[in-house]
Amino acid sequence: MGYALVLVRSASLNLEAFARATGTHPDLVRRLVALDILDADRDAGGELWFAPSQVVVMGRVQRLRAGFGLNYAAVGLVTDLLDRIAVLEATLREAERPGR
Amino acid sequence: MPGGPRAARRDFYEILGVPRTATQDEIQQAYRKLARQHHPDVNKDPGAEDRFKEVSEAYDVLSDPQTRRRYDAFGPDFRQVPEDVDPEAFRRSRAGAGTAGGAGGGGFGTGFGGDLGGIDIEDLLGGIFGGRAGRGFGPIPGADQEAELELTVEEAFQGGHRSVTLEGPDGRRTLDVRIPAGVTNGQRIRLAGQGGRGSEGAPNGDLYFVARIAPHPRYRVDGRDLYVDLPLAPWEAALGTSVGVETPRGEMKVKVPPGTSTGKRLRLRHHGLPHPRGSAGHLYAEVRIVVPAKVTDEERRLFEQLAEVSTFDPRRR
Repeated sequence: MGYALVLVRSASLNLEAFARATGTHPDLVRRLVALDILDADRDAGGELWFAPSQVVVMGRVQRLRAGFGLNYAAVGLVTDLLDRIAVLEATLREAERPGR
Repeated sequence: MPGGPRAARRDFYEILGVPRTATQDEIQQAYRKLARQHHPDVNKDPGAEDRFKEVSEAYDVLSDPQTRRRYDAFGPDFRQVPEDVDPEAFRRSRAGAGTAGGAGGGGFGTGFGGDLGGIDIEDLLGGIFGGRAGRGFGPIPGADQEAELELTVEEAFQGGHRSVTLEGPDGRRTLDVRIPAGVTNGQRIRLAGQGGRGSEGAPNGDLYFVARIAPHPRYRVDGRDLYVDLPLAPWEAALGTSVGVETPRGEMKVKVPPGTSTGKRLRLRHHGLPHPRGSAGHLYAEVRIVVPAKVTDEERRLFEQLAEVSTFDPRRR
């Protein structure tokens, strides 16, 4: 059914819309997808589609780059590590919870 | 405004925690350490972003020997002092202006005229990331922030409002946080747009309050279920009874069936924490048999009689 795909699409952003939403250049966005820092789906025509959550990811990439002068490969490593730490901290909090 | 001059500025050396005699290496080291500690993507604390900005601004000035010299000579308002001013003349003029205009920042403009020659302070200080790091990156959205919100069991049960004060860029700000009834441990309450500030018109991040239910003298909390102790006398446990149990809704009568031992849980269906979109948790009264520390002669006689008559052996396998 065609419109199921359309429904998913309506929540996603194409490359231009994503670049506009994040105030970045489409070339940079394409590069970050290639570096596996941004997640994107490629449709049959090869066009990139971004989930809205990736806008937040892009913000973090920009802040880390601006704050530490990291190159994009390093940004990928740092975001991975930060995500892993967040999961570990959440698990730790859960385990330390008083009560039962 | 992000990056705007603030009313009370702290000393840049103090911000970086270095003496005024610090070498460039020491300044760099102090900055790197603090930046890693307070970067808004590393530290979710709502105050971290301001500390990060402060640290970046201090480093921006002190890392450049020339601006550092000017900062040392002219103080926090050095950007407003024209390039060719002699530090000695400045000191004398400031001493005069200080007594005439009263103490406090922003007063020295009297000596040099208020015109800053079209220098835009905003531009000088850069965006959210202050100074050199902030330039050339375009608009950057603000980071999400997280703060813990400790609630009592009663608050989690009833919901309500809580006034929370946070340190912000323009001093303290007080937020009215709506606590939904039935909030559980670890649940996040989102305040849209109240997180880190975006630069150059980019959107702000969100502020999340993570609910933490404080230990309660009576209730233990597990998800939406509540547990309370139910102390019983041996005869109440053996014969069965009906006793009052405290719940967040008030006292409830619980029927204790005959032959109830320690550890048995009596469930009060849906008397735990409410669920906004589902069924409420349960309240469990956990039986604990308690004996009198001292018995009267009469009680002793009756217990002895019971011991003689009874064939019950709790250790029988």
